[in-house]
Amino acid sequence: MSDIASGEQLDLVARRATAVAWWRDFGVRLALDVARVLVLTGVVALVLAFFSAGMLQLIVEARAQENLSLATIFPSPVELRQAWDEHQTRLLQEHIPETLWETLAGLTIAVVLGLTIAALMDFSPLLRWVLYPVLVVSQTIPIFAIAILLILIFGFGSGPKIIVVVLFCFFPVTLSTFTGLQSADPELISLLRAMGANARQIWVKARLPAAMPSFFAGLRIAATYSVVGAIFGEYITAQRGLGVFLKRSYSSFRLDQAYLAILLTALLSLLLVLLVNLVERLALRWYYTARRRSWRGPGIY
Amino acid sequence: MSSCRAVLSETERSAGLGGGDEIPVSAAPASPTIMTPEPRVPCLEVRGVSKTFRDGGQIVHALDRVSFAAYPGEFITIIGPSGSGKSTLFNIITGLTEPDEGEIVLECGVVRRRAGRVGYMPQRDLLLPWRTVLNNVILGPELDGRSRREARRRARELLPLFGLEGFENAFPETLSGGMRQRAALLRTFLTDREVLLLDEPFGALDALTRRELQRWLLGVWERFRKTILFITHDVEEAVYLADRVLVFSGRPGRIVKELRVDLPRPRQAISLLSEDLRRHEAELLAALEAANGHAPSGETK
Ligand SMILES: Nc1ncnc2c1ncn2[C@@H]1O[C@H](COP(=O)(O)OP(=O)(O)OP(=O)(O)O)[C@@H](O)[C@H]1O
Ligand SMILES: [Mg+2]
Repeated sequence: MSDIASGEQLDLVARRATAVAWWRDFGVRLALDVARVLVLTGVVALVLAFFSAGMLQLIVEARAQENLSLATIFPSPVELRQAWDEHQTRLLQEHIPETLWETLAGLTIAVVLGLTIAALMDFSPLLRWVLYPVLVVSQTIPIFAIAILLILIFGFGSGPKIIVVVLFCFFPVTLSTFTGLQSADPELISLLRAMGANARQIWVKARLPAAMPSFFAGLRIAATYSVVGAIFGEYITAQRGLGVFLKRSYSSFRLDQAYLAILLTALLSLLLVLLVNLVERLALRWYYTARRRSWRGPGIY
Repeated sequence: MSSCRAVLSETERSAGLGGGDEIPVSAAPASPTIMTPEPRVPCLEVRGVSKTFRDGGQIVHALDRVSFAAYPGEFITIIGPSGSGKSTLFNIITGLTEPDEGEIVLECGVVRRRAGRVGYMPQRDLLLPWRTVLNNVILGPELDGRSRREARRRARELLPLFGLEGFENAFPETLSGGMRQRAALLRTFLTDREVLLLDEPFGALDALTRRELQRWLLGVWERFRKTILFITHDVEEAVYLADRVLVFSGRPGRIVKELRVDLPRPRQAISLLSEDLRRHEAELLAALEAANGHAPSGETK
């Protein structure tokens, strides 16, 4: 745009042309602003509509329930205690070890698988191009459907449940590790390259360590899912495990037992997440020293 | 590559430093210092290098036909206004960026892969946040596949001089800005390259530490006959250290003046108030002012 003539005086025609162009630009900008406001208002309206309709539905249905009281929904701690005493031996010797075994096996396989896929995607743009949509699609198919199929085909053993746990867990690990690998500081990588590092050295010494905080974030999500995955698999069909215990409780209308199973599931998940946190603290000492400094006193040093 | 690195200056060979890489600093004999490098084969030659960045609609002419040669054992400082393409020039020499025009000649001629041939200390410290100070400074030898233990030993010897004693196991995030800069300088020095490119290495240091490290750098340079290119914004520093000062103009950067500093060496003991030093500084300041005054605008929309 050379609308400012060098040193010569602007004649009227040129000035009018500039004015026309300005008004045209102004019109375009105005239209865009109006469109943006309209779209945003629409989105907000939709969110509000679904939220209030959903809440209304919940309230209406709760009202319709007869004799709904806390006592019928929640068993007392004493009842829970009794259920625990009643089933303690079988829970401790059969169900919990089985669930734990499936969870840990599935989770570790998911971690190895996730790291491998993330590394492959990071290495080769072609693989990234192929694998990324496959990964996303693999999560859009309901895992439940695949899991039920697997268990109905392969039956009672631990194997199919381990696969279910893997299905539940590998995606968050893969995606977060991949994101972490891609987000390594490009200037750091440039420096390594300037120092003569080859691709492998850059990967091992810069990209992988940079991805570790993201990897652990993904692992934490996976750890939360993993126990639920195992329980879900067992619920469909199994000989032992907390899932079976839960299923039997429901079929014999023992709500206290069901709650016990839920409580134990939550406890196992919690322990697993705590374990991940512990390992993370140990492995990422650098990350936490930096953070600790920042909450001692915020500032940029 | 090694054949190129083997081209050492005469001084070095006669001083029995042919090994170059593996000589521990303290054990090196004091070699006879030869003040003025005789015109020999340059170990680094920049020939007519131009660089233009196109970033969307904006065009930035960063460098305009920059040419100079650095001879073995020479200490060259580069001074010029901010944004005049000094860092860009270093990026081109290290092979991170290719020039639009011109070429870089390193010892054996125009090489395609320049990465890893010179020691480079960028303007940002770029320490690996997951490594302790000690493991950061040995990055160079590690990338070369040399012994880490030996590198650590050498690094430990130098830590006190760099004011990093007691911090070898600290993570970079917990250091002050100046300490990080010193760690980055130590890392660059430990790469054991013949040519060192230092981009404002003493920018964030207090006057006393700066003076001390300047003396140390002169000492190292005299002992090992390194060739040093040193960017600075400090007129006094530019004169005090250099055999030659290259003055860059504002954007697009070109060399507008080459100032020979014929102060006697060694200069470690020189008084900062010495008449000669002041005379050179005044001359340099005048050149800088002239360069800024005529600085043509490099940006065009
Ligand atoms: N990758 C890039 N893309 C676009 N423009 C760039 C890029 N790198 C540098 N520039 C531009 O080139 C010019 C020179 O930058 P450079 O960093 O080399 O300056 P400098 O002389 O080192 O400045 P300072 O003394 O402030 O460090 C600047 O105007 C900068 O905006
Ligand atoms: Mg710079």
